[in-house]
Amino acid sequence: MPKILYEYPENGVYDELLTPGGEPRPAARAVLSHFGQLGPEALRQRQDTADAAIRAMGITFTVYSEAGNIDRSWPFDIVPRTMSAREWARIDAGLRQRLQALNCFIDDIYNEQRILADGIFPREILEGSRNFRSACRGTHPPFAVWANICGSDLVRDADGTVYVLEDNLRVPSGVSYMLENREIMKRLFPEIFALCSILPVDDYPAQLANMLAELSPRSGDRPVIAVLTPGIYNSAYFEHSYLAQQMGAYLAEGSDFFVDNNDRVFLRTISGLLQVDVIYRRVDDDFLDPEVFREDSVIGVPGLMRAWKRGTVAIANAPGTGVADDKVVYAFVPDFIRYYLDAEPILPNVPTYLCMREDDRAYVLAHLNELVVKPANESGGYGMLIGPRASAEERQRFAERIAEDPRNYIAQPTLALSTAPTLIGDHLEPRHLDLRPFILQARENYVTTGGLTRVAMHAGSLVVNSSQGGGSKDTWIIEEDA
Amino acid sequence: MLSRVAENLYWMARYLERAEDMGRFINSATLLLLDLPLGTQFGWDILLQVTGEAERFQQFYGQPAEKSIMRFLIADSRNPSSLLSCVHQARENCRTFRHLLPGEFWERINSLFLFVQDGLEKGDIAGDRRARLEFLEQVIARRHALVGLLVSSMSQNAAYQFIKLGRNLERADMGSRIIDVVSAVIPPDDQGLRKTVYQSLWVAVLRGMSALEMYRQHVGVQIQPGRAVEFLLRDSKCPRSVRSCLADMEIGLAYLPNAGIPADALRRTRRRLDLLQLKSLSPAVLHEYLDQVQKDLGMLHRSIENAYFRAHEDQSPYPHPISHRIAAQA
Repeated sequence: MPKILYEYPENGVYDELLTPGGEPRPAARAVLSHFGQLGPEALRQRQDTADAAIRAMGITFTVYSEAGNIDRSWPFDIVPRTMSAREWARIDAGLRQRLQALNCFIDDIYNEQRILADGIFPREILEGSRNFRSACRGTHPPFAVWANICGSDLVRDADGTVYVLEDNLRVPSGVSYMLENREIMKRLFPEIFALCSILPVDDYPAQLANMLAELSPRSGDRPVIAVLTPGIYNSAYFEHSYLAQQMGAYLAEGSDFFVDNNDRVFLRTISGLLQVDVIYRRVDDDFLDPEVFREDSVIGVPGLMRAWKRGTVAIANAPGTGVADDKVVYAFVPDFIRYYLDAEPILPNVPTYLCMREDDRAYVLAHLNELVVKPANESGGYGMLIGPRASAEERQRFAERIAEDPRNYIAQPTLALSTAPTLIGDHLEPRHLDLRPFILQARENYVTTGGLTRVAMHAGSLVVNSSQGGGSKDTWIIEEDA
Repeated sequence: MLSRVAENLYWMARYLERAEDMGRFINSATLLLLDLPLGTQFGWDILLQVTGEAERFQQFYGQPAEKSIMRFLIADSRNPSSLLSCVHQARENCRTFRHLLPGEFWERINSLFLFVQDGLEKGDIAGDRRARLEFLEQVIARRHALVGLLVSSMSQNAAYQFIKLGRNLERADMGSRIIDVVSAVIPPDDQGLRKTVYQSLWVAVLRGMSALEMYRQHVGVQIQPGRAVEFLLRDSKCPRSVRSCLADMEIGLAYLPNAGIPADALRRTRRRLDLLQLKSLSPAVLHEYLDQVQKDLGMLHRSIENAYFRAHEDQSPYPHPISHRIAAQA
């Protein structure tokens, strides 16, 4: 096999494609051997083709701050991230289990609150929760499921263990990139798809559409489904449009809706008003309904909460779901699994220190230079402290913040995120990455085959977020020969 | 189909048509200039009059001159009717409904926008006539490819009809303005101008409206102003004529629900067009008449807006229909 140009990462970091000895892992054999044959020149050319395709296909995300030209293509790396189907099966089961437990928790918290009474989940955490919506108390969404769509972030540490880093339960995005990345790879490397068994990912839109249809409060087999988007300036607008198209749903903005006096929700169409059954909302709770949440929201639908509580319309994810999308609540998910499902967690959590606990806080403050500190409710990688890389002043600033608002901070050991070879110029270099699979739950549940691999394009960087210099890769779940 | 989406489709089509018409008209004026005797004063400001943006131009540039007019009409984002603005607007509109169009459409309109943006950044489109001709021809060709894509691969559904309405309304509007402005500028007979030059002017107008060859086939090789006006306004075969645009819109409306009021407005406009005695028209009366056409088209636009883009909350909802979910794709 021609040698592939690749400097194997040092410091014992786990590489997804290569063993520490520099040999391809079984799932990566076919692709690495093929890339080796192609050589750097051809790889570079295909990367250019991919970049041109991305630009032409208009696969972009939006950056708020840039006026005028709001599109940014998201860097795509042509070296896939591979994983064996056997390993994936275990992760798949773990993700289903986790979402099931999270939904039990959310339904419990908005109804009986058994978990508080039983002392498994401390009441003061709920009281300090920014995303708990009292307006949702006593509501029973279909199947007692609140988070119908979840995008959990997985990371792998140096010893090969895959951890759940966070559960994105509000409006997780990225699935369209997963789908488009596969499209691009099939166009670029049709020959590899014939060489090994790469499991397909393209049934996600159909699964999503079916799941949403199951939520419809009206009988009839063709419910009216709308994707509620904040509009073209939202960073994920491309995805909203893409999913609406794939599902044959309406792509609607807040102003397209109208709620009547009988709490029914309608769309304004060229034929008049059309009643809506299911809304896949991509708008945060805060902006969903100015009658209940932020009054100044212009992207929401006045009266939507009335309709939802009365059950004339289903909303996915249900309002209030964010209560479980909190890094403090995260620390309790293994307990939820034990409490609600009477099972041991299949996927581990990253060990998490809660600054609200005195012992934990003392430890965190004493070890800021080793830990990653995160605010409980931010997403997109904002407002974090990566201790080992921060300056003394930054650490001092965080120490003050933690002391001021301990409920809002958690800390975790700095994981040595795994890497994969990534094409930089004309050669491969290791870059850190994570993985975001998407999990659906209504009557049944479903997990994407693999998910979206996000990669930090800067050498050594651990930040994979699209808004902060991250890119993405196609994720190949490979069935090995029996 | 959502009202907002219908409105965006309609406007996208208008912007694209405007961009093409503008490109054509500029190229045709530039070619005309080459036919004029050396030293002839050419009134570039005729282009400003056609777009109705003369005042805005003066505000930014002052005295009209070829280069500044070209910059204003092609590359100036402060001018909402500039080619750049039109293509940009069309593309932004397209974002909101790209899921309704053939997949390639977005790629192509995106690529048209990038072409215009790159072209304007790199080349001296305003100052270099040769570069400008080539650039605008490219824009026109790319716009044709967009229309061709829709005609050949889009279902004739509601989305298609709104595109058709927008395209034809804009085309009729631009056409009637061009005829109006040019008729006012060109003297009624060839006083002072040599016969050949005079011919050239009308050749340029017909070419600007992409109707020259059709005129020659249907009317004759000699170009007479009266007959050219008749052809551009009323010929039922030429797809650029105002009459054809109206006919096409009528077909479009027939596909749509609640078409009563717009269809009435359309018939009124057409009737007025049919009754006109063009032969005996003095320039002043022609101008008055074309003014009326403009007003009628404005009314037609507003009636479409009211019927489709402003769904009223007092309208009773229609019952839960199987067929209407398909409207999402339609």
